[in-house]
Amino acid sequence: MHRESEYRYQDFEQGKVPGVETGIEVRKTICSICNPLSHCGVDAYVKNGMVVKVEGTKENPHSEGTLCSKGNANRQYIYHKDRIRTPLIRKGDRESGHFVPISWKEALDFAASRFLKIKEESGPEAVVFYAGFPKWMRPFLKRLAHSFGSPNYCTESSTCFRASFMACALTYGAMGPADFKRANCLLVWSTNPFYTNTTLARNIIKARERGLKIIDVGPLITPMTAHADIHLRIRPGTSGALALSMANVIITEGLYDNEFVQNYTLGFEEYRAYVAGFSPGVAEEITGVSAEKIVQAARLYATTKPAAMMNSASPTTHHTNGLQNHRAIVMLVGLTGNYDVAGGNPVVPPAYLYQQSPGLVTREPEFEEPRSWNEMAPRIGQDVHPAWCRVVPEAQAMYLPFQIESGKPYPVRGMLGFGLNYRMWPGQDFMAASLKKLDFLVTTDIFMTDTTRLSDLVLPACTSFERSELKFYPEQHVIWTQPVIRPLWESRSDAEIIFDLANRMVPHDDLMQKGYEACIDWMLEPTRLTLKELKKYPAGYTVKSAKAPPFQKYKKNGFATPSGKMEFASTILRETGYDALPVYKEPKLSPRSTPETAKDFPLILTTGSRLPMFVHSRTFRLEWTRSLRPDPMVDINPQDARTRGIAQEDWVSLSTSRNAIRVKANLTEIVPPGVVNMYHDYPEASVNQLIEADYRDPVSGFPGFKSLLCEVKKLTEGNA
Amino acid sequence: MKTPQLGFSFDLSRCSGCMACMSACFDQNDMPGDGSTFRHVSRIETGTYPAVSIRYVSLACMHCSDAPCVTVCPNEAISKTAENGIVVVDRDRCIGCHACATACPFGAPQFPEGSFMRKCDFCVARVTQGLEPACVRTCPTKALGFGPIEKLTEEKAKAASVKIVLSFNPNLTAPG
Repeated sequence: MHRESEYRYQDFEQGKVPGVETGIEVRKTICSICNPLSHCGVDAYVKNGMVVKVEGTKENPHSEGTLCSKGNANRQYIYHKDRIRTPLIRKGDRESGHFVPISWKEALDFAASRFLKIKEESGPEAVVFYAGFPKWMRPFLKRLAHSFGSPNYCTESSTCFRASFMACALTYGAMGPADFKRANCLLVWSTNPFYTNTTLARNIIKARERGLKIIDVGPLITPMTAHADIHLRIRPGTSGALALSMANVIITEGLYDNEFVQNYTLGFEEYRAYVAGFSPGVAEEITGVSAEKIVQAARLYATTKPAAMMNSASPTTHHTNGLQNHRAIVMLVGLTGNYDVAGGNPVVPPAYLYQQSPGLVTREPEFEEPRSWNEMAPRIGQDVHPAWCRVVPEAQAMYLPFQIESGKPYPVRGMLGFGLNYRMWPGQDFMAASLKKLDFLVTTDIFMTDTTRLSDLVLPACTSFERSELKFYPEQHVIWTQPVIRPLWESRSDAEIIFDLANRMVPHDDLMQKGYEACIDWMLEPTRLTLKELKKYPAGYTVKSAKAPPFQKYKKNGFATPSGKMEFASTILRETGYDALPVYKEPKLSPRSTPETAKDFPLILTTGSRLPMFVHSRTFRLEWTRSLRPDPMVDINPQDARTRGIAQEDWVSLSTSRNAIRVKANLTEIVPPGVVNMYHDYPEASVNQLIEADYRDPVSGFPGFKSLLCEVKKLTEGNA
Repeated sequence: MKTPQLGFSFDLSRCSGCMACMSACFDQNDMPGDGSTFRHVSRIETGTYPAVSIRYVSLACMHCSDAPCVTVCPNEAISKTAENGIVVVDRDRCIGCHACATACPFGAPQFPEGSFMRKCDFCVARVTQGLEPACVRTCPTKALGFGPIEKLTEEKAKAASVKIVLSFNPNLTAPG
């Protein structure tokens, strides 16, 4: 036993209250552990140049003084022993993991010269520019890629939101998020904001208290479900059939918006004929949701005005038929006349980095694309995913390992990765093996990871507490953060690294040569905000004069689709050889589509839904978050556990025809019988190795992470 | 005059089990991350498929009026403060015997890194300076609150009566 050190004891007794007595000063920043829809305001308590505590910034109108379980662990994130301290160059082969420190100048000169050499020998497209989490450096990295001449800028969004974006783009040109504050009914289609976007969750409770009706769709019981009037508990992967059946009810009962359908849509008759095959009885067979509930939900959504639809980035698109399923879902918005109306799904263009801030728009898209696509080679996988390339302004990263392997239609030789994690790919070992084949791999990260260890050169990035970045919030609040502590060791901000590479790799790009802050000011120009002004407001500035765009803009401008209309039958999908209608197909592996496989693997495996303390692989290394759920656990219904002789926290094997992992059983009603749910990124039990590399949606290229087949068996070893 | 007593309030319908309260507490109290925690979040499942309800409960030291830990401590290391009724531990007096842990029905006493007893002190240093306890401040759904017990009880009664009134008049729930 020991008493705590004097320093800790003293702070603890004084409650870390800021002031002269404690020597603690409060400085403002943001948390960027999770996605750009959150990025909560942070009050960093700083003493002697060290962060001693964090809490939410009260005056941030988005996060309102709150932080989640991840955000509160920022201190362990910043001061973690695994942080990369200096640039590192590999000595020995890729398996060796042996690195030695080098100076920044040497590292940057070396990286730039190798990339320029590959460009000279094989063309700029042979170099890939990749951005994972966090996303904040993306505009600069994409600019660097396109200035360099490579069309192969790609991101983690290739398995995050780009498929749902694509479904909306093909159908409407663009669709906005749920305006539930003004809605009377909210259709929540497989999303749990309570663990991913707590501001939304807080506001949903508020809206619920004034009488908002909620329909929750999804196989799992999440905290969202407790707030719903109706829960449609579908079998994973069958969203499309449910949506088509709701459309069947809405059309049959004449509950659709006839004026909208007649004047602003393409292919309604084809669609009507197709959905006629999805009576509630048929859909009950497919989805497992009773016909009665389907009718009830369809009527509630179609007759309560206005009604909003809330989607997530990927639960509906991580299926082998995900793109078409998601199209079927979002078509309900137009069908019921809730497109671009108050209280429905209004269309607001993003201000900056995917985040909307009504009335504020930056020149981010123009900044990112200094060169037209025609001046560059086809993107990686362009012949395989032609529809993707028609609407998504980046390459499909999921196809990357296949092109590295085949070298067709051209070789991929070099890669500059930020926050690259090969475990994100289905069949992760295939992606790891592909990375090893590259001639030159540079990774930038905060921590040393399994992926950085495969690199030729590793560059240390700093955290959000140690840098400056631009952030917009939907409350028309803008912040230019200022470092609250100096970058630790020799780490630097990702943006600085990119601009230093730009000096060497794209000297012809005049704007980039002016530097980071000049580029931010260039993008800010239409908002009339300047960094000079924003720097005066460390906690951010609310633009009171910003005016939200009008509703029903399609009446004047049409839709940004080839026909200028909302497309029930997609012109682009037809032209690229896919089904024009949102045709429903079973998951490639399911008890219905592959009954033979289901004999050995009778359970449906769904992966990747969120736990509150983790976001992908990001907070596993922190004791505070890890201690909240230390062991990898598979959620299994008590009925399924009983028939397998499995008790709570027994060690079990979770297996597919590809591979198996060792995890603990978590007996819970969160999952229905027949379905098991596994969080995706426990380092010692990474579930993506159970999934074939080509288990993907042919249209979007997205992996079928959320519906395949598996079995769970009790292990003899390790159990009492 | 009655002794003032501070307490936490907890709204079961708002808690999502996100454990932000636990990690805020870790950060506030420099906890080692070894599983010891002043606050516990539990999942409560009732029923079986398909009729199921899942709720989450967040509990810390209740700062009991007649605290069993105070009674059983053999070395008078635990006491209630006169100013606000918070149960506090004097770690210089604690001998690490775990008697308090045996007596507490809520699992409040903790022994981080096998050391002397520590527990929730209601962030009393913060509260006396006009700040909220760290767990209350961070709660993303505002399920946690704090204040003098009498005031919390009053607010609870008021909220319940508003709910009853609203249930009689649907117009009041229509959006403005």
